[in-house]
Formats: sequence, C-alpha cells, structure tokens
Amino acid sequence: MNISASNHGDSFRRLAIVIPVILIILIFLFILDLLTGSVNIPPDAFIKMLTGGDVKTTWVNIFWDWRLPKAITAAFAGGALALSGLLMQTFFRNPLADPYILGISSGASLGVALVMLSAGACGVGAIFATIGFIGDLSISVAAIIGSFAVLALILAISSKIKSNITILILGIMVSYISGAIVTILLQFSDESSMHSYTAWTFGSFSGVTWGQIPIMMILLLAGFILSICSVKSLNALLLGEQYAESMGMNYKTIRTVIITNTALMAGVVTAFCGPIGFLGIAVPHLCRAMFVTGDHRILVPGCIIVGGIIALCTDIISHLPGTDIILPLNAITALFGAPVVIWVIVRGTKFGRGVTT
Amino acid sequence: MNGDSILTCNNLTIGYRNQKSITKEVSKDLNLTLKRGELVCLIGPNGAGKSTLIRTITGIQPPLCGDVWLCDKKIEDHTPDEKAKTLSVVLTSPIEAGYLTAFDIVALGRFPYTNWAGNLTDSDRDIVISALASVGAKELTRRFIHEMSDGERQKVMIARALAQEPEMMVLDEPTAFLDLPHKIETMRILRTVARKTSKSILLSTHDLNLAIRCADQLWIINRAGNMISGVPEDLVLSGIFGSAFEIDGVYFDTIRGEFTIPVEKRGTFSLSAPESIEKIWTLYALERIGYTPATGPEGDIRITIGNNGGAPEWDILIEGSAKKCSSISEIIECLSTSGRGGGPN
Repeated sequence: MNISASNHGDSFRRLAIVIPVILIILIFLFILDLLTGSVNIPPDAFIKMLTGGDVKTTWVNIFWDWRLPKAITAAFAGGALALSGLLMQTFFRNPLADPYILGISSGASLGVALVMLSAGACGVGAIFATIGFIGDLSISVAAIIGSFAVLALILAISSKIKSNITILILGIMVSYISGAIVTILLQFSDESSMHSYTAWTFGSFSGVTWGQIPIMMILLLAGFILSICSVKSLNALLLGEQYAESMGMNYKTIRTVIITNTALMAGVVTAFCGPIGFLGIAVPHLCRAMFVTGDHRILVPGCIIVGGIIALCTDIISHLPGTDIILPLNAITALFGAPVVIWVIVRGTKFGRGVTT
Repeated sequence: MNGDSILTCNNLTIGYRNQKSITKEVSKDLNLTLKRGELVCLIGPNGAGKSTLIRTITGIQPPLCGDVWLCDKKIEDHTPDEKAKTLSVVLTSPIEAGYLTAFDIVALGRFPYTNWAGNLTDSDRDIVISALASVGAKELTRRFIHEMSDGERQKVMIARALAQEPEMMVLDEPTAFLDLPHKIETMRILRTVARKTSKSILLSTHDLNLAIRCADQLWIINRAGNMISGVPEDLVLSGIFGSAFEIDGVYFDTIRGEFTIPVEKRGTFSLSAPESIEKIWTLYALERIGYTPATGPEGDIRITIGNNGGAPEWDILIEGSAKKCSSISEIIECLSTSGRGGGPN
C-alpha cells in the first residue's frame, strides 16, 4: 500500500509542484511578449493600461491591436503544436514523429501556394502584394481546405489498411507530391507572390486578427479537450497496438480520433501561423524529461503549457526587442529545436529507445 | 460445455484467407480444451502454426471453420471489454516505451476496469502491487522499464497480464530471449500463478525440456500441422513426443526426457560406485565422449569411484593398466591418450 501510494504519487506530486511553476512562467512570458518588441512598453505603462490610466495612444494601439492577439496566438499555437506532436509520437511509437508527419502542413502549403501563386500567374498577385499576406482570410481558408483534403485522404486509406507504418509512409509521400506541385507553381509565379509565399513558410504568430482569434481558440480548445479525453487510450498505445486492443481498446476509433485531432490542431495552426516546425517534435521530449514520465495524464496538460512557453519565448526572441528587425520564426524554433532532437537521438542509444528501426 | 473448462475449440480449422476464395489451411479439426488452473505448453517446430493458433484462440484472427469458446461464449461474441476481462496476453514484441515504471506498465493492465482517464482506485493499486509481488518483481515497482533486463521486463509483462484479472492468460514465447535460469524462473512463476489463482495459462515455447517438466498438458503441432495433445509423460511414453521433433542428427532420449546429440561409439565401460552425484556425472561424461555401459560383466574400461579423504577419486583400469584420477577432466585425458577409440577429439 505504501509503495503504491508513494509510487503513484510521485509523478503527480511532481506535477503538483511543477504545474504552478510553469503556469507562472507562462503568464510571465505572456506579459513579456506583450511589452517587448520594436517598441518596448514600460511595465508601469502596462499596469496603467490595464487599470484604465492615461497612456500614449500608440502604445495602446500596439498593445491591443498587435501584441495581445499575437501573444494569445503564440500561447495557443505552441500548445497545439506540442500536443499534436505528442499524439503523433505516441501513435507511431516513433520519437521523431511531428505534427506534420501525416502531410497536414504539406496539404496546407499546397492550398496556400495555389491561392498565392496561381493568383500571381493570373495577374491578381498584385492584390496580395499590396494587402500583404498578413491577415488575409483567404490564405487561412486555403490552408484549412488543403489540410483537410489530406486528412480525408489519410482517413480514407487508413480505413482499408491496418499498419500505421503505411499511414506514415503515405503522409511522407503526400508531402513530396505537394512539395513538387508547389515547386512547379513557384517556377511560374512572379517575384512578389513568390516572396509572399516564402514569407508565409517562415511562420509567424502576428497574422491573426481579433476577428479570427475566437475561431482559432475554439478549434484549438476542442483539440485540447479531445486530447484530454483520450489520455487513457494514449497510455495503452504506449504498449503497442496489439496490447492496447487486448485490453479492450477500440483501435480503429482511437486511430481516427488521434489522426483527426492532430489534423485539426496542426491544420488550424498552419492556417493561421504558417508551417511552424520543431516545436511539435521538441516539446514532448522536453516534457517527458521534465516530468520524468510517459504518462499522458501528465504529458497532455504539460505539453499544452510548455508548448505555450516555448512558443512565447521564440516569439519574443524573433522580434528582437528594441529593434525593428523581425527574424523568421521558423529559424528561431529550429535553433531551439534542433539541439533537442540531437539530444533525443543521442539519448536513444543509451536507453534502448533507438531512433532507427 | 464443461463447467470447468475455460477454453474449448470445436472442430477448429485455422489458417489464412487471402483473397475471396483462396484459403491456406494451417491446421484442421482441432478439438482442444483448457481447464481452469491448468498450464498448457504449445510446442512445435517453426512454421507449424503455433502463432496462427494463438492468434485464432485470442480472437485476433477469425477461424476458417469451427469455433472457439471462451467461458461459455464464442470468442467473437465477447465485447472488447468482456474479452479483456477474461483473456490477457503477453506478446513477443518488446516494449519500447520510455519513462514508464514497472508500476505504470502493470497499472495499464487495469485498463478495462478504470474510468475514462484511467485513474486507479485504492483497490486497483492493491491489485497492481499484488500482481507485481506474485511474479517476484516488487523491488522493480519504481524502476523504469527501459532500464530493466529482459528477464525483469518479462516478469513485469506477466504482472501486467495478471493485473488484468483474466480467467485465462496466453503467452507467446515468454521464455524466448531469456537465459536458462530465467527461463526456469518464468515457468515457475507461471506454474505458481496457475495453481494459486486457478487461472488457465497457455504458452507457446521452443524449450521442449522445460515444457515436459512444467506443463499439465502439451499441445504439439508437427510439421504437417497435425495437433496432438496430452499429458507430457504420456506423449513421451507413446513415442509421439520424440517423433514430432526429431531431425537428422538429433534424437530424443526417453530416459532423461531431453534431446541429445548422438556421438561416435568408442567402447564400453563398467562403472562400480555407490549411488552418488559423482556416479551420475561420471556416467554423463563417459556417454558424452562415446562410451556406452557394458552389457556383459566387463567393459573395455572399468572405473571405480572411491574416496580419498573426503574428495572423490576415480580408479581406472584400461587395457590392463590401472590409473588414479582426481577429476573427470583427468579421466577424459587419460582415455583419449590411451590410444583407444582414436586420437584426442
């Protein structure tokens, strides 16, 4: 009894200590992300703004119209990417799986490329060039259509086949095909639309308007709740599909839930922020190491919070506080993410959780 | 249905249905019964259909013909939940989950009983702990699975299957990858579980010697896909056991109950000694290098085991010359240099 209580309390007790800490870090970074950027808002002005005091109008505008939606987007998108990465790593039992492994972001990229580049070829590109891609709803719609087309394809084929390795290969093939089409489109598009497209692939949390925020939040919250509801099956899947089925889990249903949920979260994030890499692969590993457990009852909430933290960090860094320079978000996430992935590979040999085969 | 039987197969045909009409029968007309508290070893050469039978019995693969009854219900009529509470498995595939303790793994066995989040109640915890205790893995409770040896991992997986509180456990080659002491330990654990908790256990194995010693019943599939079942000793006595596995150069020693390598005959011996452990192993050593017991009064060599101040001493009479040896190694040396039966080795 004592062993059981203390044992099982272990990871949960650690969670009870760590969760408040990381929540405080999340809130701190959220505020920091609001205050820093090309124009740094001093903390006392921030407090005045919240309490209704009199502050410079430019600061108020920057704060409400620019920084707040950006910070909300970063917190949610980071959590969603980390969570969908966790789902994919558990589902494929592969430590190098990421949210885009199903080809979701490739589908989204193809949708966006079709809108941006074919419009350019038809001479409508000037419109996009003048408006700029940021905040353009048609881009998000194109990305969502693209990712759900891939989702539909994956689900249709997966209902016929049993092996999830086949789904993995299918996703990679879809990525290649859409990459090829995008390349062809790029070849025939004019420079400005090519630039818009490239800028979109850099990823950014800044493009979401207040009008889009509720849609994004509702969809991602649905994804979070769906993930929390599948923690038990995710834990069972750690032992592999056959064990999970032998314990009474309905594999086909869970597979559909996990794939759809991943596509939902990764698709929505890609639609609003572009294809943001590395967060999804790196954060689940960070969480496993932080909480020292593979239990999804801890990892799911952990990934949501830590994902948000890392996304806010990268956003703050990419805006290089005090300067006008904005670095591509994907460059920053990769600079953070790649060392984590290297660590996973090196660690894999030590613990027998090898990456190869 | 016999009230005491957990699993019954009636005229079962197992195999694969590839296309609409093409079927590949692996084995047919199987009538098998597994009683409560019984340990059954399923043995047979590679490719004979052990895995197919296990997959059919556990309901992963439908039978081509006939049916499998699990506790008064056809296997396919059980809901996934009911089946999980009646039947648990230990598979050959290794577990590669990182950052899971033995407790976490065994707790997953409570899957059919826990709520939507998989939270354990106090009684669930007790069951997990007692499952770990009954496989002798209590000290592993807090260790991570990726830090364990194969033997420890196998114990944890057996505990997980136990925590599922089934009527029957099916294990696919649980002793593969283990060294001999751990093979024996695993079998001992399984036999104790079968006796104490009166669960039925079916396991496939390649360790024939172990299977003969441990099983209440053997199910043997031979290369042709024919199934013979029975008590191990009966199968040995009727010669079925040996004939199912003997291949060129290997034969079944019905006296010792194990497979041995035939050796080139070099001569006969007579051994006079009191019944002792030394006598038995001297006998084995002589057989190993190719000597058989003499049928007449005197063999080619004569050996007497004596005692020299507490240590055993062997007196050897070979071709009229006598020699004293203090170990079996010396006897073998002495026999191979004596010129009988060819040179060394």
